[in-house]
Amino acid sequence: MTTATTVVDVHGLEKTYGKANERQYKALKDINFSVAEGEFVGIMGASGSGKTTLLNMLSTLDTPTKGDVIVNGHDVTQMRGNQLADFRAQEVGFIFQDFNLLESLTAEENIGLPLALKGTASKIMDQAIHEVAETLSIADLLQKYPAELSGGQKQRVAAARAIVHHPSILMGDEPTGALDSTSARELLDLLTTINQKQAMSVLLVTHDPFSASFCQRILFIKDGQIGSELKRGNQDRAAFYQQILTELGTFNE
Amino acid sequence: MLGKLALAGIKNRRRDYLVLLAGLTMSAAIFYMFANLATNRAFIKANAVVSQASFIFGFGAVLLILITVVYIMYANSFLLSMRQHDYGLFMMLGATRKRVGELVFLETLILGTIATAIGIVLGLLMSKFLVGFLLNMLGLHLAHLSAFYVPAIIATAVLYVGLFILASLFNLVRLTRTTVLKLLHSDELANQPKVKPFRQLVQGTLGIIFLAIGYWALAAIKVLQMTAIPLALVTITLGTYLLFRATILVVIRGLRRTAWAKKHLNGFLLGQLNFRVHNYTRMLTIVSLLFAMALGAITVGSGYHRQLPMMAKMIGTYSIAVHDKTPAEQKLMAQLHVSYSATYTQKRQGKTVYYNADEIAKQPVEQQRYKKSGQPEAHLYTQSLKAFKKSGTQDMDFMALALGKTGAYTPKILSAEQFAKQTGQTVTVTTIRVKDLQQDLQPLKQLSKLENKRFAPPAGMTVGSYQGYEVMNGFFGGLEFMGYFLGIAFLAMLASCLMFKILSGAPGDQRRYRMLYKVGVRQNLMRWGIAKEIGILFLIPGIMGVIDVLFGLQMFKPLMSAPMSPYLGIGSTFLIFIGLYVIYYLITLALYWRIVLPKTTTA
Repeated sequence: MTTATTVVDVHGLEKTYGKANERQYKALKDINFSVAEGEFVGIMGASGSGKTTLLNMLSTLDTPTKGDVIVNGHDVTQMRGNQLADFRAQEVGFIFQDFNLLESLTAEENIGLPLALKGTASKIMDQAIHEVAETLSIADLLQKYPAELSGGQKQRVAAARAIVHHPSILMGDEPTGALDSTSARELLDLLTTINQKQAMSVLLVTHDPFSASFCQRILFIKDGQIGSELKRGNQDRAAFYQQILTELGTFNE
Repeated sequence: MLGKLALAGIKNRRRDYLVLLAGLTMSAAIFYMFANLATNRAFIKANAVVSQASFIFGFGAVLLILITVVYIMYANSFLLSMRQHDYGLFMMLGATRKRVGELVFLETLILGTIATAIGIVLGLLMSKFLVGFLLNMLGLHLAHLSAFYVPAIIATAVLYVGLFILASLFNLVRLTRTTVLKLLHSDELANQPKVKPFRQLVQGTLGIIFLAIGYWALAAIKVLQMTAIPLALVTITLGTYLLFRATILVVIRGLRRTAWAKKHLNGFLLGQLNFRVHNYTRMLTIVSLLFAMALGAITVGSGYHRQLPMMAKMIGTYSIAVHDKTPAEQKLMAQLHVSYSATYTQKRQGKTVYYNADEIAKQPVEQQRYKKSGQPEAHLYTQSLKAFKKSGTQDMDFMALALGKTGAYTPKILSAEQFAKQTGQTVTVTTIRVKDLQQDLQPLKQLSKLENKRFAPPAGMTVGSYQGYEVMNGFFGGLEFMGYFLGIAFLAMLASCLMFKILSGAPGDQRRYRMLYKVGVRQNLMRWGIAKEIGILFLIPGIMGVIDVLFGLQMFKPLMSAPMSPYLGIGSTFLIFIGLYVIYYLITLALYWRIVLPKTTTA
């Protein structure tokens, strides 16, 4: 069921790799969960647990074998071709571990890309780029090329590109994976700010407990299934971090 | 073990290798065909009526070698760009540099040798069939042309294998000097060329000056003689290069600031071009020159092909004259598209041929008048019988209607009564002027053959414009053929050069398009973006090449004197040529799409 307050609704999701007559591998088994509007949700799991596969299903980069994925009222599994591309361009903002910035474009052009795809007028575009650049304090980096930026700066540019068109959900696939600890912390603070100020839902896939501790709710995934769930509630971040560590200790046993 | 790995690497990318191999094979085949013509002295001696022909062939050979060097360089960099990741992996797995070096060396050399071997065989076949087809289509006969020519085979093999050894060494040095990490992450980093206004301005001005000198040299070939060609080649190359360097970047920078750049993928397109065009300047220069030479050669070739009949028309007032027509000839004559025809009865006695005045009055003889400049007038005219008796009987074409073993009979016109009494051998002769020589070539050829069998004209003499055409065709045919042949060879080379240069950038682009795909760019938009990007890279040398040709054709003015002109009817030639170029573009585009576009629904 989708209500106005649910951004992501996953029901009975399964993904099997390999053809019917070959050796098959079930990467995801009967996944059910939902993300409410404005929620900051983390998905944790070890390498090979299926967390990236899950994110790929949610972001339409891959198609599920079975089950429904409903994002902001759109049934993703029913989409084809251009609909998928348009959906990614309009409804989803992405931050990747390896930044995925286009090195032939300046930071400004990189950020403007989602708007350019929509055909936004250039004046409105400039305004939106500068607004988001102010928020992420990268206004002075706009004319630079990715090769001239540090990792942390690159990831902030990538974050700007992910939110400039006001998607209904921001998805991060290990966004701190390639950053040093200071830059990682800055980025996570930034995501928290975006989540709170713009009421944008954030879905973060990570195996790093520190990153996960910035979330309000964490789903633990193991061998393609959601094993347990942890809610931050009213705890502060440090206490939640300890709780995650404890949970991981028992979850992975 | 490493050999096995290398083989597996090749297998995985066999389609890319096939493209590479096909391109190299084609290049070797073309070179063989050219070498076959250029080094075959007997052929050149027999057909080179113009004294400069062997010079042109020699020059062409040098040019083709230079192009081949560049071509192999690009092909090699394509090969390297495909393989360096694998090589890096091998080294990471613990293979010694020496071992990997051997692998690289062998791989390049084996690929090159295979390509050369297949290329020579293909070149042999092409020489046999394509050259034959071309000659047939043009209606030419060239003596001493054989497909199999040992010196050409040796030349091709030595050049290609030699170049591949060089390429292997180059690869070896380059790989052993690069660190493992760099090999593993060899994706091209975008370098951003700086724009320096003053330098740009100087470059642009110099470029235009050089181009002007080059174009002038071509036009002044009569004065400069043979120095014109090397001079033009150097100055036009430099000029084109400088002009490209000066302008393209500035234009792209300018466009990037406009609102247009902020729509859809336009910004991305400009960004791509921005860092690409700079690396491409040299290649674009070469390609634009090749384009010009290919187009120029074909234009000149087809110019001769189209304009020879025009020249021939001016040679005689009638296309053919038939004496005492046989039923077989009658049949052939019925196939002609006749513009004017006349039949006269001759009586030949001693050294004189007698005509009936009545017949000449009824069917006046068409004559050619010349302007003061020596140019023939566009239309033929006829005289009254009286005037004709005075001057017309000395008309060469009229005299040629009665040729004996030693030369023409002296014509005399008698009144009908006198003519009836005149004794002598009676011959009827029919002159026919066709509407379009080109259109009636086949029946004319047969008629001329039959006529020559019975009444062979004395050596060195021709009767009618068709025979004149045949003589000229033999004379200029070599040039015409060379034009077509060189044109096709240059076109094939240029397009392959461009194709490889563009394709060698494809692996780097793969990542960029993958990113665009993730960000949610429609497949169609990406397709269009790539089509535009590659289209522009094809378009720039194309435009420059067309301009070069328009100026360069000046060079042929002395060779194609009026009524021929190197510029006459070039539109259709240009269209056909551009059509071929577009086909190359589409092939490159299809290959690029296949390499670069992300497959949907795979992460």
